[in-house]
Amino acid sequence: MNETNPVFSSLTESDLRALFESTDYVAEDDVVTTVLLALRLEKPLLVEGEPGSGKTELGKVLAEGFDTELIRLQCYEGLTAEHTLYEWNYTKQLLAVQTDDSGGGDGGIDSGSVGSVFTEEYLLERPLLRALAAESAPPPVLLIDEIDRADEEFEALLLEVLSDMQVSIPEFGTVTASVPPVVIVTSNRTRGLSDALKRRCLYLHLEPPSYEKERAIVRRKVPELDGAIATELCAMTQRLREEPFVKQPGVAETLDWARAVAQLRADGDDPEPLSPSTVENTLGCLLKEVEDVERVDDALLSALLESARETRTDG
Amino acid sequence: MNGPHDGEGNEETRPIDVVGARDRVLDALVGFCRALRSAGVAVPPNATITAARALVTVGFDEKERVRAALRASLVSRRADLDAFERLFPEFWRRLTAGLAADAGNDTDSQPQPDNPRGWPAGSVADDVDADSAQDDRSETTRNTTPPNWTRPTPDTESVASEPTLTARYSPTGRSEPLTIDFDADARLDRAIRRLTRAIENLDGRRWDAIGTERVDARRALRESVSTGGTVVSVPRRDRTEQAVRAVLLVDVSRSVLDSLDRRFLVRFLYAATAAWPTSRVFFFDTSVREVTEPFRAPTATAALAALQRAETEWGGGTRIGDAIHTIKREHSSATDRRTTVFLVSDGLETGTIDRLEAGMAWLSHDARRTLWLNPLAGAPEYEPTARGMAAALPYVAGLFAFRGPSDLEEIARQLELDRQSIGYEHDPRRIDTD
Repeated sequence: MNETNPVFSSLTESDLRALFESTDYVAEDDVVTTVLLALRLEKPLLVEGEPGSGKTELGKVLAEGFDTELIRLQCYEGLTAEHTLYEWNYTKQLLAVQTDDSGGGDGGIDSGSVGSVFTEEYLLERPLLRALAAESAPPPVLLIDEIDRADEEFEALLLEVLSDMQVSIPEFGTVTASVPPVVIVTSNRTRGLSDALKRRCLYLHLEPPSYEKERAIVRRKVPELDGAIATELCAMTQRLREEPFVKQPGVAETLDWARAVAQLRADGDDPEPLSPSTVENTLGCLLKEVEDVERVDDALLSALLESARETRTDG
Repeated sequence: MNGPHDGEGNEETRPIDVVGARDRVLDALVGFCRALRSAGVAVPPNATITAARALVTVGFDEKERVRAALRASLVSRRADLDAFERLFPEFWRRLTAGLAADAGNDTDSQPQPDNPRGWPAGSVADDVDADSAQDDRSETTRNTTPPNWTRPTPDTESVASEPTLTARYSPTGRSEPLTIDFDADARLDRAIRRLTRAIENLDGRRWDAIGTERVDARRALRESVSTGGTVVSVPRRDRTEQAVRAVLLVDVSRSVLDSLDRRFLVRFLYAATAAWPTSRVFFFDTSVREVTEPFRAPTATAALAALQRAETEWGGGTRIGDAIHTIKREHSSATDRRTTVFLVSDGLETGTIDRLEAGMAWLSHDARRTLWLNPLAGAPEYEPTARGMAAALPYVAGLFAFRGPSDLEEIARQLELDRQSIGYEHDPRRIDTD
């Protein structure tokens, strides 16, 4: 446990910052430090934050940046060990046993031939086992997405995997990771996670982005959009977040919106500032509940445009 | 950036090669963890070790990096971030002071590991507040001293002078005289049981290992391996029924208590806490207090006493929005994705409507579903036109009447149907004038 990972022991903060830079992920200093710690201490990283704050994206950019495989496990209610660890390929086993039996060459199903269907050949690797069994030089990134959607039972199962980085298969033996994978666990905080799980992880809370950070993200991700318009969009999104919406727009929604506006402007090709009708027609990118859309009336719309105008005069 | 021993791997807990300095760092760190714990932060038991290893990795040069490292290793809940940020400057001061005074004669400034009082006054004062609040609450339940929320707040008075308060009842509704229902207890129990079943059946995609409902093909194949591929029996399984998790938020302002049979309210809360063991009960008007314990007591005396006190302390009006925010802030563990929230109130909000909306918005996506039980909604001509009720309506799964066991049966009936839209408007007892 005390050995530092040979792959990441020489990794420095500036390396990591360059990695985020190259993958267009806008990360603040504390995020960089925390991710570096998770890599060097070989601890899973538990990432929490509002929907759309870039939790899943973090796992993706790490995989992209290290040029390694991203193994993603999307959690949902009712997720079981068969879906996550391994499963025997019953059909194949069955066929093998039957062929064996009918051929009769080895004398039917003796203990030897039945034992032989429990080998790697008949094993279906599911995400967790695949991440542990991988032997690539930068280890794969295991992204366990939205763990709060899974049941407590699955959390308990995960504990074994995360603490020892190994899986025991009764018929087969223990699979231990030669190089522990980089584990990113994300949660939307729809329920509390167990202390046992938290204890094994480093914790990172991604704050909803500030206006400046959001603007930087939009600039990097939607370069085709005019800078001044991007600024206005961000100002309006920030203003929208002050409203008590059923579903608050996250950064992902802002990006959708920016892309939509960029598309429309590419068609029309007008250098005019945003018109109220454009804003109203594209709000569907931001607001996904009918109650929220209904809430945007003329008064709110003009307040939005007002805040956009302010940034324009400021800039 | 790294300690000199970083490369040696197995000596990671030694950040600097002077034993005294190491002890100082560890002292500061252990003291910090203790201070965090006494401030209510859920620091995992092994976190100090993780934090020490993290410190070695990031070094001590930069405050912000140390801050990020310790935050990642010591904090595991968003709610704890504030306490961490409040206590961190003191840790940093001790750490840097300790490292600077490496000559070893500056023992006075060392934190006493068993005495977290040396930590910032703010935190300790907060602790005391929290503790005394805790005491108050438990004293409340023991019925000894008047709790601290008895004093009338200036808010209440200013609210009382506002003209809006005159609208105590929904203008189109009216309070109905109550009839005595002799087998009410038995009916109530039946209603609660039916409600419990209805809610249980709504949730859950998970499978039980056994059952009768559907064929478990995977298990059938698996078992057939041992019989040489012949399927001998067909195993079946069911969907899991999940135990009901509920939060009962009860408005105990005068307008509600006057329009409601209090005996029914107490019996309902009593039966509900008995039927749903993990449920929690909160009373609110202009403040919030948890009364789960009195309703857990073996006799109804404590529960009645709790309601009695609530009555004697009615201030005038209710602040539902503030109450929900208080629960979000102080009892955030009460609600989760599987919780059904029962909100008993007439929706006559005296706080700001914006705050109520924000609170309901939070509740609507934090809990599984919110059922609003409104004693006024039992009147056939009731319409949710009160400002607060109208604002909250989009965020609730259903608004129901709440006068007696028959209303609970109605909720259960509608939940059993599992339709998109539920609420008082689908109540067949309501005379539809449309």
